[in-house]
Amino acid sequence: MNKPKVDDTKTASKLPIPSPFERVFDGPLTQDLLLRPADFGLGMLPDRVQPDATTKVVCGFCSTGCSLNVHLREGEAINLTPATDYPVNMGMACPKGWEALAPLKSNDRGTTPLLKDRSGRLQPTDWATAMEQFTGRFRAIQAEHGAESVAFLGTGQMPTEELAFLGALAKFGMGMKHGDGNTRQCMATAVVAYKQSFGFDAPPYTYDDYEHSDVMVFVGANPCIAHPIMWQRVLRNQNNPEIIVVDPRTTETAVAATHHYAIAPKSDLTLFYGIANILISEGWIDPDFIDRHVNGFEDFKQHVSEYSAERVAKATGISVERLTYLALAIHRGKRVSFWWTMGVNQSYEGVRTAQSIINLALITGNIGRPGTGANSITGQCNAMGSRLFSNTTGLLGGHDFGNPQHREKVAGILGIDESVIPHEASDPYDEIINKILKGKIKGLWILATNPAHSWINQNFCKDVLDRLDFLVVQDMYHSTETAVLADLYLPAAGWGEKDGTFINSERRIGVIKKVARAPGQALSDFSILQLVASYWGCQDMFKDWSDPEAVFKILAKLSKDQPCDITGISDYRMLDDNGGIQWPLPEGQALENNQRRLFEDGRFFHADGKAKLLFEDPKPMPEPATTAYPFLLMTGRGTAAQWHTQTRTGKSAVLRRLYPAEAYVEVNPRDAKRLKLRAHQRVLVQSQRGSIDARVAITPTVQIGQVFMPMHYEDVNQLTLAHFDPYSHQPSYKNCAVNIVPTD
Amino acid sequence: MASASHNSANQATLSDSSAADASVGLIDRLLQKQQQLTAVERFAQQQDARLKPELSPVYRDLIPLEKPSEGEQYSFEVDLDACSGCKACVAACHNLNGLEEDELWRNVGTLVGGNTELPVIQHVTASCHHCLEPACMGGCPVNAYEKDPITGIVEHLDDQCIGCKYCMFMCPYDVPTYSSKKGIVRKCNMCSDRLAVGEAPACVQACPHEAIKIRKVSREEIIENSETDQLVPGAPDVHLTLPTTRYNTKKVLPRNLLPNDYYVSKSLHAHFPLVFMLTLTQMAFGIFAACFFVQQAYPSISAGLFARLDAIGFAILCAGLGVATLHLGRPFKAYRAMAGLRTSWLSREILCFNLFAGAASGLLAWGWLAMPEQITGISRTLPAAATVIAGAIAVASSAMLYIATKRPLWTAFRTSSFFFLTGAIVGIATVMLAMQWALVDSKSSAWLFGSITESGSFDIAAALNVLAQALMLFTVCKLAIEGSIFGNLWSVQFTPQRHAASLMAGELRWTLIIRFALLVSGGLLLPSLFLANAQATDAAGSGAVLMTFSAVMLLVGELFERYMFFAVSVARRMPGAPN
Repeated sequence: MNKPKVDDTKTASKLPIPSPFERVFDGPLTQDLLLRPADFGLGMLPDRVQPDATTKVVCGFCSTGCSLNVHLREGEAINLTPATDYPVNMGMACPKGWEALAPLKSNDRGTTPLLKDRSGRLQPTDWATAMEQFTGRFRAIQAEHGAESVAFLGTGQMPTEELAFLGALAKFGMGMKHGDGNTRQCMATAVVAYKQSFGFDAPPYTYDDYEHSDVMVFVGANPCIAHPIMWQRVLRNQNNPEIIVVDPRTTETAVAATHHYAIAPKSDLTLFYGIANILISEGWIDPDFIDRHVNGFEDFKQHVSEYSAERVAKATGISVERLTYLALAIHRGKRVSFWWTMGVNQSYEGVRTAQSIINLALITGNIGRPGTGANSITGQCNAMGSRLFSNTTGLLGGHDFGNPQHREKVAGILGIDESVIPHEASDPYDEIINKILKGKIKGLWILATNPAHSWINQNFCKDVLDRLDFLVVQDMYHSTETAVLADLYLPAAGWGEKDGTFINSERRIGVIKKVARAPGQALSDFSILQLVASYWGCQDMFKDWSDPEAVFKILAKLSKDQPCDITGISDYRMLDDNGGIQWPLPEGQALENNQRRLFEDGRFFHADGKAKLLFEDPKPMPEPATTAYPFLLMTGRGTAAQWHTQTRTGKSAVLRRLYPAEAYVEVNPRDAKRLKLRAHQRVLVQSQRGSIDARVAITPTVQIGQVFMPMHYEDVNQLTLAHFDPYSHQPSYKNCAVNIVPTD
Repeated sequence: MASASHNSANQATLSDSSAADASVGLIDRLLQKQQQLTAVERFAQQQDARLKPELSPVYRDLIPLEKPSEGEQYSFEVDLDACSGCKACVAACHNLNGLEEDELWRNVGTLVGGNTELPVIQHVTASCHHCLEPACMGGCPVNAYEKDPITGIVEHLDDQCIGCKYCMFMCPYDVPTYSSKKGIVRKCNMCSDRLAVGEAPACVQACPHEAIKIRKVSREEIIENSETDQLVPGAPDVHLTLPTTRYNTKKVLPRNLLPNDYYVSKSLHAHFPLVFMLTLTQMAFGIFAACFFVQQAYPSISAGLFARLDAIGFAILCAGLGVATLHLGRPFKAYRAMAGLRTSWLSREILCFNLFAGAASGLLAWGWLAMPEQITGISRTLPAAATVIAGAIAVASSAMLYIATKRPLWTAFRTSSFFFLTGAIVGIATVMLAMQWALVDSKSSAWLFGSITESGSFDIAAALNVLAQALMLFTVCKLAIEGSIFGNLWSVQFTPQRHAASLMAGELRWTLIIRFALLVSGGLLLPSLFLANAQATDAAGSGAVLMTFSAVMLLVGELFERYMFFAVSVARRMPGAPN
């Protein structure tokens, strides 16, 4: 660079009159951006953001579980870069990760508890009053309607220690029976599918598998947008892999794939039975593996024999040739991996669909080897922590409420009276909503989730929440669609303002740390739970639960002899030093390899060590398109810069620039032409349940007769139809009938 | 079990004061603990403050090993096939460069095309193209841009910038961003500080798919490519600035691959200081020109009237120029604004307006002081002619300022006819108003416009008659030129002109209706009433009121027109925007 770095300003200021032809090469504005070498291997950074220390924190958005290297000054976060030496993300992050600190600074953070006054307005109050109200009102409800009349709804966004504390406190301390989490909306299907097929909720893979596969089948998954850092691994694959995408929409991933199967919506179950039929009838299976490790093959063979290629072609809209090709590709692949996300999970027959994918991996022996597996890509940063430790549908540590030995074990380790442990699992989310409607649940405690936006058939959900006698919402923001409905709002510290651990998609446990000060009187959920325990009077039960790391050690003990045994993990420091650790790591086992997959010995978690082939005939959609509602609405992720109900991503000025501000509905060009719709035109999207405003986006990436709306916009779930998978109770967000009416 | 825990819970009531105290103490402890940051103490630190960037092995192959040689420069190279559209590059650029909260130097647009059987989505990441012929640099009035002779990086000198935003008008890729907090423009410098020490730019470092690289390109090659090459579908023509970024793909892109917002007409930010500046300075020119014409044609009219009109014209000119400084982010640095005379039409415009104002103040001296004419022996005609010529040049330079941006709506014909006709229409109406008020024998108007005796009034009436007809003629011309844009509504292709027309017929329809109502009333209806009224016996007073309405309506109408001039100018930019 040939610019004079010396002080031009000084020479200029000595002149009595500044010359209009003098060029100013330096000064405060130039210095503002000038980069200087930073320490800690960060390269060049502007002066303003030069750190004096760094520390690694796992990201708090999705389940990829990237590690973010937070830049600190005097212990406080000032900036971040993706961590370079972490096995998950290797120096990369998506925009949400890069912007993870921005949402903490938002001016709608809760800074004091808020209590609804007589006129229905939320007014600031102090923690003592808030806690007295909390315990007083919930106790009064329980006294009148029974202990079960108070329930909680948690999340997959809080660290495992807090989720465990919540579940234990609510059930063992406060006598609640029912509690669930928003993981019901994302991972319940995978959980049930794995439990039934493998004997435990156990995603078998490690991210290295992306690099080892030679055939990858993505079903209802768009990692390009939803999990960009996993897609990074796909692109690092040196085997020139075949990438097959099964998705009604032509997503970014479908465009990048080698083959896209744009099946008719909800024909996935039929498709995979058809593929299984071809594989079996062509002999493209692994009989040896089936013999030794799989139960139910003959019944399965019998079942799929009815799925002729012609029948499947008719149902899916995929030609017989292409169906055969898909089966052939799976057959030819030496290391075939199957990956699914919400397209499968959020379905009224999601469990059987997930299992139809698992079945393909099992009958072809594509499991337990590098580059294989029937792999569910998780949604939320700590969905796995919630699945194993939230004490909702499963007893702490992947145990079973119905199993007396399990209850005894848990009671022993926790030092509590076994009688306080319920004998049954909680009702799932949808049943909790139903019980509120029926007046059986009168008090609800919602933590770090936003059902008034995200729950299916939103108007109904809001109406139901309105019927509660007492609604407590504990959240970072007092402005969420749910927080504004609360009778009592408790201000919570967010990710970055507290300690704990998350478990990611590949079962890797990673540490989150307190690197920022929570605003005002906001407290970590952990601290709030300690307060609740104290005010409820059950603090003795939790006297060992002094801080998140102490709880982590308790949870490790609880995991002993479970498939998710983590007794070999001594503390947070060990997790931090090793770049996160995947479960299992039983005591005594050395951590030799930090990319570990399950089932390498072919032993599954059912008593006989075998996996089960499970299947069931597909069912028709409950609400297909009709004359009055001629389009099938699918919802899903909009962009990589958006997350769920946008309570956090909507707070970053950078992220807000990366997605459309207004809700939009994607329409096929031929439908648009038929309805004379213009791009960006305002329309009403109507279903039998609601009618919302949106802009038209015309794109051939949705098929004729189908429309797509991102779930992030506030009103979208007014349209969706409340129907659920019968086994997982996961809402089926991706199929309801709508109409489109132009309004300008 | 429910009842068991219920009972135990009931035992611990809060009326127990010691328990309550303990709980309150707990609140304080927890609040205190919440504010303590301990991560540094609790976890292992990287003790060695290593200088070598940890990511360097990852990006080593993504940046050139050596400086460009003669005839080469650095450029971005994007692998479109690798880009998944995650936009990490945008956030990383923001983060690693310490930009302001909502300041972005990189953007990712989306192209959509193909058909239902084979749809295509293509994301396109773009920042500054570090052009061979940077339009931003050519437009800058203060030479705040510099193209590095070795690296070819187009650098912006932040402390030199006066915040005029003309580079934002000039850049066909919408690259420079304005910070109202700082009052300056900033832009991507390819992280030149990083490249200088062998580090990759932020975007290159951050792409999970290694889709962005820095390469050395030959300038010859860029020039050759500019004969046919388009950066990506929907991007502005490369011949405007010779951008150096290269977009690679192995795919055959469908011909209908278009920006996702291709059919969306969105209005642009209207720069109000510029709206007023243009309208008022053109009005001033119109006043001087109309006066000159009247004085030449009707020498018998009292010179006093013209002296007053000169003063009015000068005041309006000064107001126009004064309001223009409100456009600047750093108005106190405006003294630098003529540094760019060699290339910048903004510098030239400022020079021309200084000359115009100089000539007009000279003319003012002639009108109000006896001395200049006595000393030099030159009559008012010469300085008046000089003012009109200087004014015409100044208005032309204003037009050139916008024509030079090459925005498709700011054509030479449309821009210059808009500007001169605005001057003519508002100028004539103002002169007519002054002359008519001068005929009114009223104290309230006399202080401003003077009062004309019986003898001069015949010529004034004749001049007014001609001016009214001229006003109506110019109004018809302007209506025709402005209205001609609507022909594009029926164009098959979605041209920028069609976007402009549909904006005016859609989003801006009320602005448009008001604008045309004002122009037709002020420039046609009121002048024809005025002409009809002139025959009446006691015409002076009502004529003056009519012309006052006409002039005000026309001025406001032209302000509306100028607002739309900016709002529908359809700026070029890289394809596809999230919003």
